Amino acid sequence: MSAAKLALRRLGKQFALNRQETVAAVAEVSFEVMENEICTLLGPSGCGKSTVLRMVAGLERPSGGDIALDGRAIGRPDRDRGMVFQAYTSFDWLTVRENVEYGMRINRVPAGERRERAAHFIELMHLTKFRDAYPRQLSGGMKQRVAIARTLANGPSILLMDEPFGALDAETRWHMQELLVTIAEETRTTVLMVTHDIEEAIFVSDRIIFMSRQPGTVAADIIPAFKQGRRWRRKEEVIELPGYGELERQIMRLMRQHGHRDESE
Amino acid sequence: MTPPSNNRRERWFEFLRPISARRAWILGVAIWVLFFAFWELGVAAGAVTELLVPSPHKVLMTLIGMLAGDFPADIAISIYRILLSFLGACLLAVPLGILMGSFRTAEAFFNPFVSAWRYLPAPSFIPILLMWLGTGEGPKLALLFIGVVFFLITLIMDHTKDVRREIVETAMTLGANRRQILWTVIVPAVLPDVLVAMRQMLAVSWTYLVIAEIVASTTGIGAMMMRARRFLHTDEIMAGIVVIGVLGIVFDMLFRLGHHLAFPYLRERR
Repeated sequence: MSAAKLALRRLGKQFALNRQETVAAVAEVSFEVMENEICTLLGPSGCGKSTVLRMVAGLERPSGGDIALDGRAIGRPDRDRGMVFQAYTSFDWLTVRENVEYGMRINRVPAGERRERAAHFIELMHLTKFRDAYPRQLSGGMKQRVAIARTLANGPSILLMDEPFGALDAETRWHMQELLVTIAEETRTTVLMVTHDIEEAIFVSDRIIFMSRQPGTVAADIIPAFKQGRRWRRKEEVIELPGYGELERQIMRLMRQHGHRDESE
Repeated sequence: MTPPSNNRRERWFEFLRPISARRAWILGVAIWVLFFAFWELGVAAGAVTELLVPSPHKVLMTLIGMLAGDFPADIAISIYRILLSFLGACLLAVPLGILMGSFRTAEAFFNPFVSAWRYLPAPSFIPILLMWLGTGEGPKLALLFIGVVFFLITLIMDHTKDVRREIVETAMTLGANRRQILWTVIVPAVLPDVLVAMRQMLAVSWTYLVIAEIVASTTGIGAMMMRARRFLHTDEIMAGIVVIGVLGIVFDMLFRLGHHLAFPYLRERR
């Protein structure tokens, strides 16, 4: 087994409620993501999964613990940890092609290479027809494809995604999930993604980190063994596999156990 | 002839129902036609003293006559004052507003000062400006500048703070440094709103221009109107009001046109 791509050790995050009191949003979070793995952070709302992801990105400072990427402690946000958000983040004033080239432009990649790489990722995300369009002219799913292409074209060491398909309609969402599995495979990218969608987590993941609330911590580190150690590109193939239903039930039990009790009683 | 779209007759007043662009246009023109018609008829019927309320066509004839005389020089000096003072206000407000909207430290330092000035009515500075700057162009330009700049800074700061945090964070995780984020994300993202803020404050600028020219000037549209008052030339005063209104609309339209041309990407999907 190769060394971990990303390693979190006893990560914690406290927020100040007022001068005296603090609340631990995240505590003692430790897990590892292997090279080329698609790992999802799953859990009830308020479990701190987005906070963990934002700390990996460097957008929030941990109160304790450490995060190492490729064996080195992470620092400020940088291109090695490209992030895709749930909210649309296309730069409205740039065309699709200019959006995808943006990261390479600020990192001073030569123009020729920039164009070539952008064209490759635009093709990969099925956006070639729209490369000269402005984001306002695109649908939500296309905007997220632009965001993914822009991040991947910038050559990150890990792709971070914060509920990237959460704002999309159901049909677009599963197309995007299949596209994600395909491109992660083709570009050999390590992915850490936050989701609250159980079906989505089971379909795309090689590893599921299930988090509980109050404080947010790792409740289960799940490898979906029923997938027989391979990726499936069609969602229905995964749903049809024996073992799918069992894992879904297991995660739903975890959700009930660690979710908002006050609402179910 | 309009083909019957459905068998229900279209009513004039219907909640939530949009109306055609043509009908909106006709209605918009209609109210002005009615306004002038009532005015003209009122004067013709002797309902008002013609000395105090000249008829619309009299005002129009006077205006045409004035445009052949000295009036264009007054208009030109007024426009010059507006543009020069407004340019000065923008040169300060745009960079400062963007800086204050981008960095909390800059906001914490400048904002208590800037927002306090907003509550001081600019015309209250006229006496002291006259003492300091004499009777030339100085006090007029200064009044226009003071009247506009603090509001413009605040508007631009607020628009800059409204730049969505996700697009800034996206740039960070793509490896952009602070200077790159400022110039390649914040500035282009806020620019359309900056232009809107400028358009709104230019309209305010006209208000201060007229105040400055009425109380402390011998040239310009406002000064002309005060001169006309002395000779009971109501028609000339009204012609002045018309010109100010028309110029306001023209500048507004120029800004809208500039906005449309400068930001083609804001046009939605056809």
